[in-house]
Amino acid sequence: MSIVMSQPSIMQSPMMKLAPAQLAELVREHQADVWRYLRYLGATTADADDLTQETFLAVARAQFSEQSPQQTAAYLRTVARNQLLMARRRENHQISTVALAAAEQVWSTLVSETGSSVLLAALVDCLEKLEGRARAAIDGFYRDRRSREELAYDMNMKPDGVKTLLRRTREVLRNCIEKRM
Amino acid sequence: MKDNEQHDWHDTLIDRGLAELVGGEMPPDLTDRILAAAHSGQAEKVTLAEGTDVMITPIAHSNAKTWITIAVAISLCGVAVGLMLAEVRSARETALREVRSDRETALRTEPQAATQPNATSKGVYSIPGVVGNFVIDEREHIDTGEYFDDSYAGTPKSGLSGDKLQMMVEPHVIAEDYEGQAFSPLQTAPSSGKNPKLGFEFMPARPQARESGRMRDETLHAKERSLPSPYYSSDDVQYYAGSSVERLSEAPQVVRQRFRLGAGPRTEVDQYFEGAHLNRQIARQDVAGKTIVEFESLRSSREDLRELIERRRPQLGEQGTGPDSSGDQYTRINDNSFIKAEGGNAVSTFSIDVDTASYANVRQFLEQSRQLPPPDAVRIEELVNYFDYDYAGPIDETPFAAHMEIAACPWNAEHRLARIGIKGREIDRKVRPQSNLVFLIDVSGSMNEPNKLPLLVEGMKLLTRELGENDKVAIVVYASSEGLALESTRGDQQQTILAALMRLQAGGSTAGGAGIQLAYQTAQDNFIKGGVNRVILCTDGDFNVGVTGTPELERMAEEKAKESGVFLTVLGFGRGNLNDAMMEAISGKGNGNYHYVDNLTEARKLLVEQMVGTLVTIAKDVKIQVEFNPAQVAGYRLIGYENRMLRTEDFNDDKMDAGEIGAGHTVTALYEIVPVGKSVESGAVDPLKYQEEAKPQAGSDKLLTLKLRYKPPDGDTSTKLEFPVTDKGDSFTDATADFQFASAVASFGMLLRNSEYCGDATYDTVLETAGSASSRDHHGYRAEFMDLVRIAKQLQQ
Repeated sequence: MSIVMSQPSIMQSPMMKLAPAQLAELVREHQADVWRYLRYLGATTADADDLTQETFLAVARAQFSEQSPQQTAAYLRTVARNQLLMARRRENHQISTVALAAAEQVWSTLVSETGSSVLLAALVDCLEKLEGRARAAIDGFYRDRRSREELAYDMNMKPDGVKTLLRRTREVLRNCIEKRM
Repeated sequence: MKDNEQHDWHDTLIDRGLAELVGGEMPPDLTDRILAAAHSGQAEKVTLAEGTDVMITPIAHSNAKTWITIAVAISLCGVAVGLMLAEVRSARETALREVRSDRETALRTEPQAATQPNATSKGVYSIPGVVGNFVIDEREHIDTGEYFDDSYAGTPKSGLSGDKLQMMVEPHVIAEDYEGQAFSPLQTAPSSGKNPKLGFEFMPARPQARESGRMRDETLHAKERSLPSPYYSSDDVQYYAGSSVERLSEAPQVVRQRFRLGAGPRTEVDQYFEGAHLNRQIARQDVAGKTIVEFESLRSSREDLRELIERRRPQLGEQGTGPDSSGDQYTRINDNSFIKAEGGNAVSTFSIDVDTASYANVRQFLEQSRQLPPPDAVRIEELVNYFDYDYAGPIDETPFAAHMEIAACPWNAEHRLARIGIKGREIDRKVRPQSNLVFLIDVSGSMNEPNKLPLLVEGMKLLTRELGENDKVAIVVYASSEGLALESTRGDQQQTILAALMRLQAGGSTAGGAGIQLAYQTAQDNFIKGGVNRVILCTDGDFNVGVTGTPELERMAEEKAKESGVFLTVLGFGRGNLNDAMMEAISGKGNGNYHYVDNLTEARKLLVEQMVGTLVTIAKDVKIQVEFNPAQVAGYRLIGYENRMLRTEDFNDDKMDAGEIGAGHTVTALYEIVPVGKSVESGAVDPLKYQEEAKPQAGSDKLLTLKLRYKPPDGDTSTKLEFPVTDKGDSFTDATADFQFASAVASFGMLLRNSEYCGDATYDTVLETAGSASSRDHHGYRAEFMDLVRIAKQLQQ
């Protein structure tokens, strides 16, 4: 397996390290999106915590200087992805880099350059328009943490039907978001 | 294959978004953890060279060695802790024995205290009658779970990232209130005649090294400004943590500690703290009937606190209400009653109100708390005004247009319903005037909840992203003291403003009054003539230091608004100690508007979608007067606006303050009218003996005359508009959809308030009316309203 990783253009001279204040600023500005990205790639919450930390520590050791928020975000995603790959390899887990590349493509398409807040705001707006069973299914599954089987019982459906309903609802939300963005 | 994969990732991305927004799986704040790890040199080296097959990481190579080191370190720590535990346990038992002994002595001398039903014997820090935030002295580690009830909301945060503070908690602010029966012996003091209320606050020792740059003594340097609050953390360290580091290096048993005491009459302060180890009085101020005293002590705060508490324990007989149970504060609302349209009573005058806080607050109760709101939290006019109505805007230079519509009343077939609709002139956001904004942000300990400071910061970030080079933003924060967190900065310097917002952290008590003073001063310093000059106060309203009383704060807001010409927006956050009454009052007096932010969607509505309306005032002191024609109207009732009522003569008095209207705002008021010939349910009044009864003018077919007065935003002279209105006898179904929807919202408000005037209205009729009147619902607000009605109906059942 080979990993194709382009050298980010924002690397600076080899001896330069990130000052503590810069690191603090970088962490505050980007940690939420790095964490979300890792969760999106399949890391558990605990792993996402650890890997977010390792991502920023790696950047602290690197010769990094910020040129634009967009480049920084992309660079951090690359580092985070590598941290996840390394963690998976240490656990002898296989992970498809092709899938990761597809994931990155989707992320960079839907998540704006300034971060995921625009996506989330659009999702909030779209959620408000949901009604009926779709809304009930989303609330039950995500907010009340009910299983598909429990929801199926409540909604007088089959578990596969709930799964389909949830998936279709997410698709509706995606279409709504894409229209808004 | 590729398409499928892509589709899956889209689904996953939405799935993660839902998990966060609906499921509450928020990204954690790992800042401290990462910085601590970076400072301790745990950072690993990575190589991201193109074509590299394997990531090179020293940690990967030295994993085994690292784990062995960690294991040995943990073992050594375990042994050390084991040895220390015995000593700590022994010391604790000794302390408890002393307390029990003292308590028994106290109970022997004050037997009446022992008979109090809620007396507690939990331990040193379990203090009946005490509420507030407790944070233990930094040098001793105490298992707070053993000493504190859950209601004692101590919220120790992680200490400094660094190598000296492993055992430290911060900040050590203690704010307490003793109320009710708590001070029974002191109630005999001749001074007050009412139950005293007393609070005190431990202030951090002044950190000498940092004092020059940041840390400030709020009382001794009360005149100074432009310094950040101690709760505003910068890149280097948190200020409280900084001061604690220095104290660790002092002599172990002698700590210079400062206290600030606030109380009622001075004699009570002196009596209460008589004999305490408060070595030197530093300053004393009388502010608005309260005595603020500052002492300096050479003993540790915990030692002093313990001694004071134990000495006064017998006096503290009754359990107080903690912050969690103290509840939100609302002004009592009594529904406007029917008034007979006779003589001078045929005229009704009120101030407009563009606030929407009550609707968002009601939504929070119903959707999140799943309970019916208290009746006083329901201000019907704010429910009605939450929604946009399709009123036409002005076509001339007038700042707003007025519309009237009259139709049958849906909840009382015999009555008529008159709707007054006002539409403010729209201003394109691209050509909105230059703005000078001051974000006044409460960073006190009570804001340390997910739906308070974090939501507030996200909301202000949304607003910041809407600003540009023609705008200026300053950030004033307040906790135990006030400070300027960001000098007035151009709106296109987004990163600077966003970074300042991201650094906000909550902790300490709430000197809101001082924050208001500094915010107005900052707004004045950067005043833009002809532009938008506005303070945006974001708080839960739980002010507990300095000026805290609603009347004093109202007066302060009124004076500042008049002196400075600066407008005010109040954004309320959170639940549990929400001081809705105060926030509504100061926004009214401070030429402002008041909104409640219960979620990010509401923040977007207020600060992004309706930003121009929220920020740009197009007319101020807008008053409405309606004169009813007694030949057509037997009686009337204004629905809502109970706390906006004015006297008839106030309408023409330009000194009398009233509400402001923002660009594009719609304001709606509803009158329930009893036609002539129908009986009016109003209190019986004896006929006048010495005056002739006023006789209605014959021949007029007008139902009423609507009069409005307003001033330009920077003017002092009002202009009057007048519109006579005739009732065409429309039925309810003939009325416009907006009329029907507004009446449904008013019905809903009356039902929530258990109003005696709700007539035939039920939740079902509200749903039916709102459903048929919601074809125009661009943002989904009306659909959300119907959801709320369904929830309320369910809860009512």
